[in-house]
Order: sequence, then C-alpha cells, then structure tokens
Amino acid sequence: MADISALIVDDSSVMRKIVERALRQAGLALGEVLEASNGVEALGLLARKRVDLILSDINMPNMDGLEFLRQLRDQNLAPDVPVVMITTESSEEHVRNAIAAGAQGYIRKPFTSEQVKDRILPLLGAA
Amino acid sequence: MVPASAMKDRICGIARSLDDAVEEVFQLMMGMSCLPTGQCPSEEREMISAVIGLAGAMSGICVLYSGTTAALRMAETLTGAPTTKLNDTVKDAVGEICNMVAGAWKTRQPSLTSDCMLSTPTVVTGTNYQLHNQRPKFRVERFYCFESHLFAITLLCESLQ
Repeated sequence: MADISALIVDDSSVMRKIVERALRQAGLALGEVLEASNGVEALGLLARKRVDLILSDINMPNMDGLEFLRQLRDQNLAPDVPVVMITTESSEEHVRNAIAAGAQGYIRKPFTSEQVKDRILPLLGAA
Repeated sequence: MVPASAMKDRICGIARSLDDAVEEVFQLMMGMSCLPTGQCPSEEREMISAVIGLAGAMSGICVLYSGTTAALRMAETLTGAPTTKLNDTVKDAVGEICNMVAGAWKTRQPSLTSDCMLSTPTVVTGTNYQLHNQRPKFRVERFYCFESHLFAITLLCESLQ
C-alpha cells in the first residue's frame, strides 16, 4: 500500500500529535500529515492539498467538527476521502449527527491504537 | 427537594464514576494506573488548573488542579516527550486530560450523555489563587495519585435538570 496522507483537525496540538502517533502504532504507512486547529483552517488546507484520510475532533472554536463536515460536503471538498471523528462526545445522538453530516467513523477519546486500527484500516481498504 | 440520603448516594455514585473515568484515561492514553488517594496535592511555586465547562442538562465545571511536577509528568507521558517547564505543550496536555476525564465521566451518566455539552479547555496557571463558584448545587472533590504524583479533580454542579 502506498503511503497514506492524512489531515488531523483538533484545537489541541498535543492531541494532534497523539492521533498521529496512534495512526503509526496502528500500522498505517503515513506519508504527509497535515494539521489544522479548527474547521476553517482544515477547509483552507483541503482547498489546496489532497489527502487520503481526515480525522477530526468535534468541539473546536471557530468552526466545530460537525459544521466542518457539512462544509466539506457543501463545497465538494475531498468527496471520496473517509472522515473519522475523534472526540470526547460519545452519545448515540452525536454519532448519528456525525454520520448524517458525512463521517464514516467515530472514535471516542480516550482511545487505544487498537481501536484506531479497527476503525480506520477497513475504511482505507474500502476507499 | 431531594432527600439528604438520596443526595448522598448520588454524590457517592458521581465520585465512583469520576474514579473510573480517571483510571480509564490514564490507562488508555498514558499506560499507567491512577487511583484515588486521601492526600491532596501540595502547593508548589506554580500551580495549574484546567477547567472544562458543562452546559445543558447539567451546568457546572470539571477542574483538574495540580502542581508543576505532576503536570510535567502528565504531559511527558501523554506526549512521549520530556519537558522541564510549564509551557504551552504542558498546559495543552493538562487541558486535554481534563477534557477526556470530563467526557469519560459524562459517558457514565445516562441522563447527561446526550444532553450535556463540554466546553473547550481553559487553563490557568499561577500561585495562591482560587476558582470561585457561587452557590453550587453540589461539589465533588477527589484526589488522585499516579507514580507518587498527586492531583485533584473537582466537579462543581450549578444546576441539574
């Protein structure tokens, strides 16, 4: 499999690094990793760069993860790229809202690299 | 009005859920155990408080309070990189730990999971300060220990719907 490029969207720089580390520990051959601290920054990056995978938090300032997903769809950015939410919000309603907005997966914080592997690798195989 | 015995039971349940949430976060994200203790963290030259707001079915805050030594060690184990001062990375790390503890605790409260939102973290550092909350409905404070480092988590509830 060729190296996977990823965009990690979280207002915490520490969490962005933790997610990247979890992806590598899950066995993903990561190439370029882009980072954004909110949905606005993420949309700006995706207008210029192509990625193979997007991971996003929900609770972020400026533009939260759900609005980011809606904007992705409305602007037709990264149409075939799997999006996985990584967030502390874990209710069924939050999961439903994320899936309805366009997410293909959902991981609750705190998480293990095994959970990352189980949720994300199948999406990359399908994509 | 909730009878005193029922409130006491409720607070005990909240404390147990908080203990479970802290252990889950430390085990999954930092690979270490973190258990309740009767000892409170000592005052150091600089202290740090991370605050997560809760709004909706429950209004209140979750506060993680720690000295510099414990905060540095939390950040080091979370990020995998050693650090020697209370910089932005440490503040970010402590904020995220508080965020995950608040989220993991909320997940264990069926009435709150869907109807209570978490804020993004606010982090305060300094010495000789107190966070003041007017007339909380209840307050649960627990002390925890990991690798001989101590910190406190406080849940303050202003209102409960």
